[in-house]
Amino acid sequence: MTVLDRNIAPQPGPPRPYHFPHIERRTLANGLRVLIAENHNAPLVSLRVLVHAGADHDTKELAGLASLTSDLLDEGAGERDAIQLAEEIGLIGAALGTGADWDASYISLDVLSRNVEAAIAICADVARRPLFPADGLERARTERLMELIQQRDEAAAIAAKRFSHLIYGEGAYGNTIGGNPESVARIAGEDVVAYYRDHYRPNNISIVVGGDIDTSRALALIEAAFGDWQPSDERERPVVAPLTQEPSRIYLIDRPTAVQSEIRIGHIGVPRATEDYFPLSVMNALLGGVFNSRINMNLREVHGYTYGARSTFVFRRQPGPFVVSAPVRNEVTRESVMEVLAELRRIRTGDVEERELDDVKNYLMGVFPATVQSSSDVAGRLLDMELYGLPVEYFDRYRESIAAVGKEAVERVAKKYIDPERVIIVIVGNASQIREPLGTLGLPIHELDIEGKPIA
Amino acid sequence: MLNLLDYRLDNGLRVVLNEDHSAPLVAINIWYHVGSKNEPLGRTGFAHLFEHMLFSGSEHVGNNEHFRHVQSVGGVLNGTTFFDRTNYYETMPSNYLALALWLESDRMGFFLPALTQEKLDIQREVVKEERRQRYDNVPYGTAFERLLHLAYDPDYSYHWPTIGSMEDLGNASLDDIRDFFRTWYRPDNATLTIVGDFNPDEAKQLVAQYFGDIAAGGSFPPFTLQRKPLGGERRETFASTIQLPRVYRLYHLPKMGTPEWIHADLLTTVLGGDKASRLEKALVFDKQIATDVAAYVLPTEATGMLMLQATAQEGVDIADVEATIDEELARIASGSITADELTRAMNRAEMEYAHQLENYDTRADLLGMMSTYFNDPSLIDRWLDAYRAATADDLANVVRKFLVPENRVTSLFVPEAA
Repeated sequence: MTVLDRNIAPQPGPPRPYHFPHIERRTLANGLRVLIAENHNAPLVSLRVLVHAGADHDTKELAGLASLTSDLLDEGAGERDAIQLAEEIGLIGAALGTGADWDASYISLDVLSRNVEAAIAICADVARRPLFPADGLERARTERLMELIQQRDEAAAIAAKRFSHLIYGEGAYGNTIGGNPESVARIAGEDVVAYYRDHYRPNNISIVVGGDIDTSRALALIEAAFGDWQPSDERERPVVAPLTQEPSRIYLIDRPTAVQSEIRIGHIGVPRATEDYFPLSVMNALLGGVFNSRINMNLREVHGYTYGARSTFVFRRQPGPFVVSAPVRNEVTRESVMEVLAELRRIRTGDVEERELDDVKNYLMGVFPATVQSSSDVAGRLLDMELYGLPVEYFDRYRESIAAVGKEAVERVAKKYIDPERVIIVIVGNASQIREPLGTLGLPIHELDIEGKPIA
Repeated sequence: MLNLLDYRLDNGLRVVLNEDHSAPLVAINIWYHVGSKNEPLGRTGFAHLFEHMLFSGSEHVGNNEHFRHVQSVGGVLNGTTFFDRTNYYETMPSNYLALALWLESDRMGFFLPALTQEKLDIQREVVKEERRQRYDNVPYGTAFERLLHLAYDPDYSYHWPTIGSMEDLGNASLDDIRDFFRTWYRPDNATLTIVGDFNPDEAKQLVAQYFGDIAAGGSFPPFTLQRKPLGGERRETFASTIQLPRVYRLYHLPKMGTPEWIHADLLTTVLGGDKASRLEKALVFDKQIATDVAAYVLPTEATGMLMLQATAQEGVDIADVEATIDEELARIASGSITADELTRAMNRAEMEYAHQLENYDTRADLLGMMSTYFNDPSLIDRWLDAYRAATADDLANVVRKFLVPENRVTSLFVPEAA
């Protein structure tokens, strides 16, 4: 045996091939789309119903409607009231989830594969025959109001809400998905029924099945459970209209008991369908998307200011935000803002080493199989594919798309999509400790209450 | 039955291999049998701070290079610390198994030469920020810490949470770090688990090559934990910046893996698993006096714990919430659990276990746990047997025997007066 030299990292063996599971796509006669990918690692099946409408359809007055509608789906469906439904789901070894995001609403059902037939029948009841009982609405409303009350003490939630509102104003993406106390109080049963009727239609839905089931059997079960659902007219998607980007400024929200400042820095980003998706993904990974990225290394490993800082292009159907987030201790709030702004400026200069570029590209290319091990991981990828209209060969071409990103592309998209001189800086923290240091940054500071109202 | 190979190197390192070629990945997971319970008083938070230090380089791996080596080939990695154990793991493209073993063996065998005061100072600040972010700057963030303080006397080292106290973190010295490493980070206190796409003969050879020359340690320091009886319920009311009152209870249980702990695990699903569960139905659905309920057992080795919590709706007296919880517990004690409720709880356990076995990383973690706590990785095939054998009366017995006032501590979180 040769002597081991620990100074040299061992070389890899030849890579083993990886292929995303085969994806079967069908469209039923009523317009409902079905995607199936088998994965037999465990006796589990993941079902997902994707409704192509979410909180983007909420008006300012009825903010929270999409999410409350999805909450109510499990308050009884078909022949079962809320409790019977929960019992039935427990008896087949399943877990039901419902929810709404900005662009879509979801029903998810994970189940032991031996009971998949019963699960699909329940799933069809929940999607097609929700009862929307009046007492269920009141219960869900109260729960929502209590959540909103609790968020008044959650610095991260306050920061996220204020940041979105400052970017998008009162329009779509500018509310919060969960709504606010006034809008939630306003939502009536007929609003829920109208939202459901307008958007939960087979020709506005994709059903995804991932896991331990034969494709042909899954197709037959879906067809039987959903095939006779009648389609109806399309609804137009409201257009997101972000506010104009102004020169950089700080919005300070006081939380007198805070021992950390929740910082959000950013501006409007781009939609998922952007042609620059891959260069943006590489650039952001390098900037603040992974542990070893510049922003996290700077704030955490060099300075010890934070447990973790990151940057994100939030990809949605319409332009989502670009945001850097960091919770830092009070004493270093000003320094942290300065370091983040410096990193945003630096990434635009083209100052990128080959090695760091290779590192993040290799990470993005290599990590994919590790993120799609389980049936629910596979189902999640199919959901992305449907939600954003990705081509069927997307996952197989992923590697080469990342590999093609060069240094010039990173510099180009950084210059094009990041503007450190026109950022919104939201800080939720202890104003008496951080106001004065922040004042020396030379940026205007606006103080807001937690609802966003200016404080004189 | 999983295809398992379970053996030890001469230096005492336990190795568990599970070959599975369904994905071109390999999960590497090392469990060190040391956690916050091994911290001396005055050095709380130490095991976890140490976990951070182990990512800051070793003799042949530069500062921050550990992360870089793994991520730059598409691997994912992390470490976790709890009362009884600390683990380190990576999931790699399978052709990088040797790289992961090189990294893990370097920090097991060659950590001390790379240790510096500067690295310690940075990680100490990072951990303090972790404490602020997860405990001190969030509503109810210190609830678990408060329960532990009530449930255990200071000489029993479940008295403090893994994160430790700010003061103790500030006092940690380089010598403390060195002592801790020498005492606990050694092959004869570790289990290395490898799951995934590898050839077992090659893997065995690589493990021998990278770990075989690391020396075993001397004897372990004597360590006994004897929990004193509570002597009646211990209870506190704590005012903080929150909007809604919440009751937290901790009930003492036998340790993880005992039949009673497993029955208690099933019981928590009956209590709070879904909308039809006892507490959620009574508190949130029927009476509508609470907004949420949670019940779970903790995976602890020295002694067991069942946690129960419920948040009162605005304007509701938290005492009413507690009274309803106690009524439901009394109904269960009188023998009201149905066959359907038991079936639902078992199905839930089966589904959650299937999820854990599904991915290489979580399966490797389970094997590490089975080896470390129960000295038997093959228990992974039989873990659910005890769940399947449980009866409704077994669950009721947990309530009768353990979910009684004199066996619990209670912390009531209430809003500060405006």
